[in-house]
Amino acid sequence: MHHAHIDKFAYQDSPVHRLDSRIKFIAVLIFTAVVISLPRTSISILACYAIGPFAILVLGRIPMTFVFKHILVVSPFVLVLALSTPFYDRTPVTAAFGPFIWQSTLGWMRCFAIFGKFIVTMLALIALVSTTRFSDLLAGLQKLGLPKLLTIQLGFLYRYIFVLIDSAHHILQARAGRTLRNLGFKAELKVAAAMLGSLFVRSIDTAEHINMAMQARGFDGNWRTISRLRICGIDYVFIIIFAGFMIGLYFFIRPVLQ
Amino acid sequence: MHMANELLSVPVAGGTLAIAAAGIGLVCRKAKRFITSEKLALMGILGAFVFAAQMVNFQLPIMPGTSGHMVGAVLLAIILGPHLAAIVISSVVIIQCLIFQDGGLLALGCNIINMALVPSYLGYYLYRGITAGKFNGLRVYIAAMLASLFAIEAGAVLVPIEASLSGVLAVKFSTFLITMLGVHFLVGIVEGLITLAVLAYLQQVRPDVVIDFLPGKVRLSKKAVLITFGVLIVVIGAGFSLLACGLPDGLEWSYAERPDQPDFKKVIVNDNPVIAKVDSLQSRYTPMPDYAPRSLATVENKAGISAGWTSFAGVFGSVLTMAFIWFFAYILRKNQPQKT
Repeated sequence: MHHAHIDKFAYQDSPVHRLDSRIKFIAVLIFTAVVISLPRTSISILACYAIGPFAILVLGRIPMTFVFKHILVVSPFVLVLALSTPFYDRTPVTAAFGPFIWQSTLGWMRCFAIFGKFIVTMLALIALVSTTRFSDLLAGLQKLGLPKLLTIQLGFLYRYIFVLIDSAHHILQARAGRTLRNLGFKAELKVAAAMLGSLFVRSIDTAEHINMAMQARGFDGNWRTISRLRICGIDYVFIIIFAGFMIGLYFFIRPVLQ
Repeated sequence: MHMANELLSVPVAGGTLAIAAAGIGLVCRKAKRFITSEKLALMGILGAFVFAAQMVNFQLPIMPGTSGHMVGAVLLAIILGPHLAAIVISSVVIIQCLIFQDGGLLALGCNIINMALVPSYLGYYLYRGITAGKFNGLRVYIAAMLASLFAIEAGAVLVPIEASLSGVLAVKFSTFLITMLGVHFLVGIVEGLITLAVLAYLQQVRPDVVIDFLPGKVRLSKKAVLITFGVLIVVIGAGFSLLACGLPDGLEWSYAERPDQPDFKKVIVNDNPVIAKVDSLQSRYTPMPDYAPRSLATVENKAGISAGWTSFAGVFGSVLTMAFIWFFAYILRKNQPQKT
């Protein structure tokens, strides 16, 4: 059950955790858009952009080992994408980094740029998720105009993912305990279908129970929260620092590094 | 099939986000009319079911060592109807992005369109169209298979289109398209088989769940599975041979199409005086911070070195700043009493 701990740091308390979720979400969106629209050939400036999410992660007391483990888990697809570029683009270029100068190809530079952008944007996203409670994020998103139906759906989904993943684990373990050799595709498919089917039936039964329990407590399709969404002093400080960071990088550091 | 941020440009990402938001808004408005509060819990749990179902994997026959799993969009569309399925799968994609960091934040619009909106509607209407109210075994079999296959292939086709609209493709468009189609053909066939098998199981165990859509008898016959795989092998073989013919070898490939560098051939013949001009022009108009074109570097070695040093300073300064932030936070934390 390692999944259950993916956002375990969201329940800590720090200045970053206390920021309004709407502002954090919009800041991460802007940050991601700016980083992605950097020219594919600028690599060293990515390190400067990484300072922002890094500072938030450190302030929020998120351990860096956790962050990098998580990036490693989701990186295979992007790694394939990045490592395929050197095969297609073989324009020779001379790369220079400090005292080192070496011959390389444009493809390799793009490969590094893609992977660097991936790491920086992932840092920002992890900084958002691990410093914001999911319920707060949902409340913020609803204030930003997400349909109510979808918010309720996301809330339910988030609540029961780990419950059902747990029961899927049990089923998988049971299969592993009973399967001693390769059964052939048809048998495998039949077993998998039976597993999925029973999981499906179990989910429907669970939903019925939950529905009855919620009806008994007066659920009428509205999601009531004690809304604490309020933009206060610390949010303005964050906005000013964020704007200063982005504008400073864009107008002062970027021209120098290019 | 989750797209990463890196596959998109900002305008395309913004456009697809707007389209996805409009689509979801429309679906939600439509669904509000017939949705009751009892259905809310069911939808949420079925979303969680999709997550759990993706963990149940099984061995694939053609390639040993690989395993397939269910995507689930078509199954939900058949059982819940397209509107609810679209909402459920969209929420799954959003959670995958936010909590599990699968697929980028900017690519969320594309992912919702490719994996939620298009497959649910296409799959549902294909299934209903083919079965046409008569649910005998073969018809349901063909319908579930084709619906899954086309729903997944349609989503897969959209990925190279969106990437090429963004102009980030280093590979040729047709190559990427054929690769995506080939890979997702297999995924679609497996999805069809597992969807059908789950439907058959549910029909045996809980016929009330699927009663409106599946009153007939469904059985997974050995012959049908064998025929499917025969067709699959032929089509995949044809696809790969097509792919092999379509591809020039590696070197040719890298020179073949260069819309961004029409003068590439001249660089190969390096004793041409035009090159220096072209290269300097190119380096002026294409932003190349850390490295200069080859001829430029040999002629003006100094410029190359200084560019190298600025980038070095940039990276080094950033690392230093991060170390400073970390150290500062560490000192602050040490002075604070620890809370558990």
